[in-house]
Amino acid sequence: MMSVFEAARVIARRDFVATVYSRTFIIFLVLPLVIFGAIMLTGQVLDDRDSSTPRVAVVADSATVSALAAARERLAAATSEHSFPRLTAVDPAENVDIQARQLLADHETGYSAVFSGTLERPVLTGPRKIEETTGRRLALIVEDAARTTALAAAGRPTAPVPISRVVTEQAAGNLQMVRQDIARTIQGIIFAITVMLATLLLSNLAEEKTSKVIEVLAASVPLDSVFLGKLLAMLGISFVGLALWGGVIGLAYLFFQAVQDFVTLPQVGPAVGWPAFVLLVLFYYGANYMLLGALFLGIGAQATNLREIQTLTMPITLLQAGVFFLALAAVGSPGGALTWFAYIFPFSSSLVMIAFAAENTALWPHVPAMVWQVVWIFLVIRLSSRLFRKTALKSQSADSFFAILRRRRT
Amino acid sequence: MHGGLAIEAKGLVKSFDGKEAVRGIDVAVPEGTIYGILGPNGAGKTTTLRMLLGIIEPDAGRRSLLGHERPLEAARIVGYLPEERGLYPAMTTREAIAFMGALRGLPLETGRKRAEILLRDNGLGDYVDKPIKSLSKGMAQTIQLFGTIVHKPKLVVLDEPFSGLDAINQGRLEHLIRDEAEAGTTVIFSTHVIHHAERLCERIAIIADGRIRFEGLVAEARDRLRPQVRLRTRNEDGLWRQALPGDARVEGGFWLFELPRGGIEPILKALLDGGAGIEELSIERPGLHDAFVAIAGESAAREMVANEQADLGEAA
Repeated sequence: MMSVFEAARVIARRDFVATVYSRTFIIFLVLPLVIFGAIMLTGQVLDDRDSSTPRVAVVADSATVSALAAARERLAAATSEHSFPRLTAVDPAENVDIQARQLLADHETGYSAVFSGTLERPVLTGPRKIEETTGRRLALIVEDAARTTALAAAGRPTAPVPISRVVTEQAAGNLQMVRQDIARTIQGIIFAITVMLATLLLSNLAEEKTSKVIEVLAASVPLDSVFLGKLLAMLGISFVGLALWGGVIGLAYLFFQAVQDFVTLPQVGPAVGWPAFVLLVLFYYGANYMLLGALFLGIGAQATNLREIQTLTMPITLLQAGVFFLALAAVGSPGGALTWFAYIFPFSSSLVMIAFAAENTALWPHVPAMVWQVVWIFLVIRLSSRLFRKTALKSQSADSFFAILRRRRT
Repeated sequence: MHGGLAIEAKGLVKSFDGKEAVRGIDVAVPEGTIYGILGPNGAGKTTTLRMLLGIIEPDAGRRSLLGHERPLEAARIVGYLPEERGLYPAMTTREAIAFMGALRGLPLETGRKRAEILLRDNGLGDYVDKPIKSLSKGMAQTIQLFGTIVHKPKLVVLDEPFSGLDAINQGRLEHLIRDEAEAGTTVIFSTHVIHHAERLCERIAIIADGRIRFEGLVAEARDRLRPQVRLRTRNEDGLWRQALPGDARVEGGFWLFELPRGGIEPILKALLDGGAGIEELSIERPGLHDAFVAIAGESAAREMVANEQADLGEAA
């Protein structure tokens, strides 16, 4: 008899090759890149779009218009172009109230509000919610314009106060923010990959069920090796995906860097340093996948047909989302019951430990965390493979969740 | 060739949802034989084979496969074609056969080479790189059978191998089974089609309702019934009729009766002396179907015929 690992290798190889050469895998590979590209493009487009910034018509004399325009310029330069509404000068008509309503009704110009009056007695015409957003920012512009005009009239023109800069390597607050961003990004990527892998794993299981190969496998090799083989194949597939995505993103980065300063990588790395961080991420990613994958395979084997497998996809994705949000909540958290729960709960532990590696220099806590993960991987694989063995072979297992449901219904 | 036992099972019992599917089955399959398990659908044939192969565990009883108490330990030298055929649709025929060999420990490259030879020798050389999904059902079944024997097993277990096959593929399969047996492989197959067992098997087990009703040589099964005498005479009446057995009946112009223990000679003498005018006289050995009816009962036999007809319809 072949050993469990030897047989698992045969199964894993078949699943790996079958998946890598399938259309589903191409979607699996391309979709995240398309989504990533779309997000980047959308961000770029939104940045460039004028329409993303509210437009305000300024119905006032030329001095007021100039003062407001100058004030806006100053404030936008200090913050960002999109922080303040765009101002457009409109010559006042005889009845400014009627003119304001007409301007707001004109879909072509698309004004969000109309400013009229003077700097001393400004009037803002527009819907109520404008007060909450554009109104407050316009008030800042008016205030700045009025102050600058008053100081100029008093012969004390304003000038920017030069600030002497003392450059340090880092600031704790900034460092923490960047590291938390790194943690959240990695957690997000791992979440996205495991969601896709769970779908792949279940569709693979569906193929097994519909093609009825499982009996051939069960007669040849121990079912534990079928279980392990499938799990390892998907892990291998995910690493292919990671390598490919990493390669494409890396090349894209180098390309855009060469063309123009498109993206800048954060100067700050994770607390444990990049090499240790990469190794830890690989371990925790593998552990996270093995835990969730084993669970899904065990649950997926309960289903007797494709429809039932599809039914399982939703709760499984919800479970993953729950784990992901739990892990997100623990990032940057000073402690508390929820954080500790996230550290201890085996399905969120690996994601939270990635955040820990990003935020803390200490390496020793990873030792017990890894042991904890390995113990749980062992337990979940044992449990799930038992479940798999019990139900995978039967087309109508009496013990499966769905069979119990069917019996209850009848 | 016929040394030890390839399969030995005693008192195998299996229940599903509290219902006994197999009720204490004993099987002994000598090495190098073609062994048939006959019975209607639902008789317990598949469950028995699955237990023998270790796919499912019996609730009671013990079994040994090529000397191994744990059947998976003999996996490398066993081939199995399940009733529910299973192949990955996207795999090519060569890869499918090689993969099935790899599951039994055959290196993939050797498996590929042997797959090519098997396909070519059986006139399927053009299908080497064709995906399984492009094949007919019968051809896919043949591919799976090649996958079952590619690692040159000592024991081949086939569950309803003729099911769903047309006459040409059934003939091809019979040929393959004989070839395997000639090469020294033990072949055990289940079927609900009696004439396959009759043509191929040396030994059979008849299963009905989860129990073995007969286990032994095909000849022994047939010998359970006396040979049938068919007689046609020119003259209908005469003293010679007193020499016929009491249960003799007329069907289609023939007298039919079991050959008496004392032989045919006394009847023959009476026929000649009584001027019966013998037109036709034959002594026929009973077929396996008759033996099956006698052993398993009329209802099991009717079920077998119904299964067989359904099968023919499916193949057509």
